[in-house]
Amino acid sequence: MEMKPVKLALGPLLYYWSRQATLDFYAQIADSPADIVYVGETVCSRRHELRLDDWLEVAQVLADAGKEVVLSSQSLIESESDLKTLRRIVAQTRFRVEANDMSAVRLLAEAGRRDWIAGPTLNIFNPQTLGLMMEAGASRWVIAPEMTGAALADVRAAQAAPIETEIMAWGRLPLAHSARCFTARHFNLQKDTCEFRCLGLADGLALRTREGEAFLTLNGVQTQSARVYNLLADLPEVCRSAEILRISPQGSHTANVLELFRNTIDGTIPAAQAFEQSAQWMVDQPCNGFWHGRPGLELHQVATSTCL
Amino acid sequence: MTFTLPAFTLPATVARIAARLPQKPPTLALTLALNLALGRILPREDLAPLTGRHLRLNVRDAGLSLDFTLGERGFQACAADGKPDLTLTANVRDYLALALREEDADTLFFARRLLMEGDTELGLLVKNTLDAVDWEALQRDYGPAALVRRANPLTHLRALRRVPHDPTHAIEH
Amino acid sequence: MTPKQRIELVCPAGSLPALKSAVDHGADCVYVGFKDATNARNFTGLNFDPTAMREGVRYAHAKQRKVLLALNTYPQAANWKDWTAAIDRAADFGIDAVILADPGLMAYAHQTHPQLRLHLSVQGSATSYEAINFYRERFGIQRAVLPRVLSLAQIEHAIANTPVEIEVFGFGGLCVMVEGRCALSAYATGESPNCNGACSPGKHVRWEQTPAGMETRLNGILIDRFGDEERAGYPTLCKGRFDVNGETYYAIEEPTSLNTLELLPELARAGVRAIKIEGRQRSPAYVAQVTKVWRAALDRLMGDAAQFAVQPAWMAELDKVSEGRSHTLGAYYRPWK
Repeated sequence: MEMKPVKLALGPLLYYWSRQATLDFYAQIADSPADIVYVGETVCSRRHELRLDDWLEVAQVLADAGKEVVLSSQSLIESESDLKTLRRIVAQTRFRVEANDMSAVRLLAEAGRRDWIAGPTLNIFNPQTLGLMMEAGASRWVIAPEMTGAALADVRAAQAAPIETEIMAWGRLPLAHSARCFTARHFNLQKDTCEFRCLGLADGLALRTREGEAFLTLNGVQTQSARVYNLLADLPEVCRSAEILRISPQGSHTANVLELFRNTIDGTIPAAQAFEQSAQWMVDQPCNGFWHGRPGLELHQVATSTCL
Repeated sequence: MTFTLPAFTLPATVARIAARLPQKPPTLALTLALNLALGRILPREDLAPLTGRHLRLNVRDAGLSLDFTLGERGFQACAADGKPDLTLTANVRDYLALALREEDADTLFFARRLLMEGDTELGLLVKNTLDAVDWEALQRDYGPAALVRRANPLTHLRALRRVPHDPTHAIEH
Repeated sequence: MTPKQRIELVCPAGSLPALKSAVDHGADCVYVGFKDATNARNFTGLNFDPTAMREGVRYAHAKQRKVLLALNTYPQAANWKDWTAAIDRAADFGIDAVILADPGLMAYAHQTHPQLRLHLSVQGSATSYEAINFYRERFGIQRAVLPRVLSLAQIEHAIANTPVEIEVFGFGGLCVMVEGRCALSAYATGESPNCNGACSPGKHVRWEQTPAGMETRLNGILIDRFGDEERAGYPTLCKGRFDVNGETYYAIEEPTSLNTLELLPELARAGVRAIKIEGRQRSPAYVAQVTKVWRAALDRLMGDAAQFAVQPAWMAELDKVSEGRSHTLGAYYRPWK
């Protein structure tokens, strides 16, 4: 089936990996089919294996390799120190910026930037709010994971001027942010003296129910789904409402996933087949509930129209 | 209001004896009281989701297990068999405290003095509907003084000169 | 040192009797919602229909108290008109302020009802003065309710850098995640506070007595299991006990209530303008009990802040109505983080 030629984006790295592991990863990404790469720390300001200057260097390497690079900003802003980092990100003009909090929106608008990306935690649910972000200078938006395909279609239909839409199509879903660090809590530590226990947890820390069912993933101050959001089987429909698909980095095989998506978009592999192939690279079961207006953890099978 | 309910529990023997007695008379007393309230105090439309559902009220220390439902003509006793859609369990003292608005249902729930099993949505509906009853306004509109006022022919004349009620309505679910 | 200005006590009301309870026991403001998804406590049987709303406003205004209307969920394209109609009704009813989260709605209110006072809901997730000032510059908000993720020092810093009045939660159920950006409930049940006005909604909750204890499930997912002697909590999924690496514990947060009574002097010193009590889903009895305590505490503080001391009787009253075993200072107290 003919699919609209959408671009592939690699979302910001949500986990905390060692400096070497991170640099190796992005070296790999430079050769991958990703068109756009988001870099930077969006989860926790205490993480320091790569600081802002390091991220800027990584960004330059990727830009030299022909990628469009975006600097992502922190989702939860708490302190003046967080704001200082944000101001530095906004001040640089080499790379576009992803705003994940209204403080970033204010700073970008104030600086007169007209090329920033409205990130998934800005709570844009209707055309009026999207219009306001566009007035403030957004030229792309990433939908909130809980936004349904139907609601997205409504918003796009109502837009007076076009704006690039980016949809997360792969990865553990970021569901919530907190001031408290749940990884530190697991080790009976507080955030301020966390000993950086999240370092090296390549895909976060698994949380199960008392019946052993995989439920959530602890990633420091961020809580994610256990299941992997996977829209491969839905791709033909999804691409009708998107210009960009976002793949979220995982501990291993991210490059394989990017290849698979590229092949599916290009029509080399049928969507249903791609979905089956993807199983080998998922860290947990797939889900696609949000796209279909269902509980996020459900898997709605397109072909047979049943829900799991 | 300075009166507060003393804490008490009926002796266990009461429960043991009462549980062996027919539950129908107490159930009838309950449904009678509920039906007096239905319409005027408890809005019928708000309680519509209870229609046809099997409700059970356990009064633990009194040994009572009251099974009832909401039918077309109001609340009525129903058979005890089958699993109830909603079961509430508490002691006499706590039911009274709830009725007198001395205790908050969630407070009792946290303290495990009020147990709820089954359809939580129904339980919430019952709780919220009861909480919304404006006893003060009822006293004002239906208390002895109000009844006297209603019997007065002049009251009707005054009513005719009032502005019609605003038909704005809330969003339908 | 007596606080420079009077701190308002903002109390919840899920029904007309609760509103009267709040007013009668000393609330300065009462916050309420309509019977629909325009507010984040969209529970069956709760909230105000137009008649109750008019009477509530009349009752409060007769005693010089204010009524604030929570319109703090996020409308979508398909139901946009329901939310703007709610704003219109609020203006018509004489509501003193609407509490909003969605920027699009704020623009509508600002343009269509410029005289209507706007408050930024905690659901707007503004955790810094930059974010708060963004809303002030564009929509003229006059007060912001802070998400419960900031320490006392961070709150003080925010207040020092914005002319917007700051309102903070002082007591009640605690959100562990930054408010307004939590999709945990949507993941488990398909309904979220943001779009449906409900977290872990009743229709997906089951309580079941089993030999192993009382089990609480959310859409079939086992959230917790209580022994007979254990206090229960709301079945919100962030308050459950889970298994992480073989350890079963309250991985995110235990059922507990926020209680900042002992921080009142510091909150006052920081310049907080209002204390908000959580609990629109609670009964008139709860509202009466809690409002009484906080009224007494605030009066004591206003009288002589230097002599302010938390009365054990106050704590006992508050603990009685609290979720879980304990109370917490939450993020106000940095080590909680």
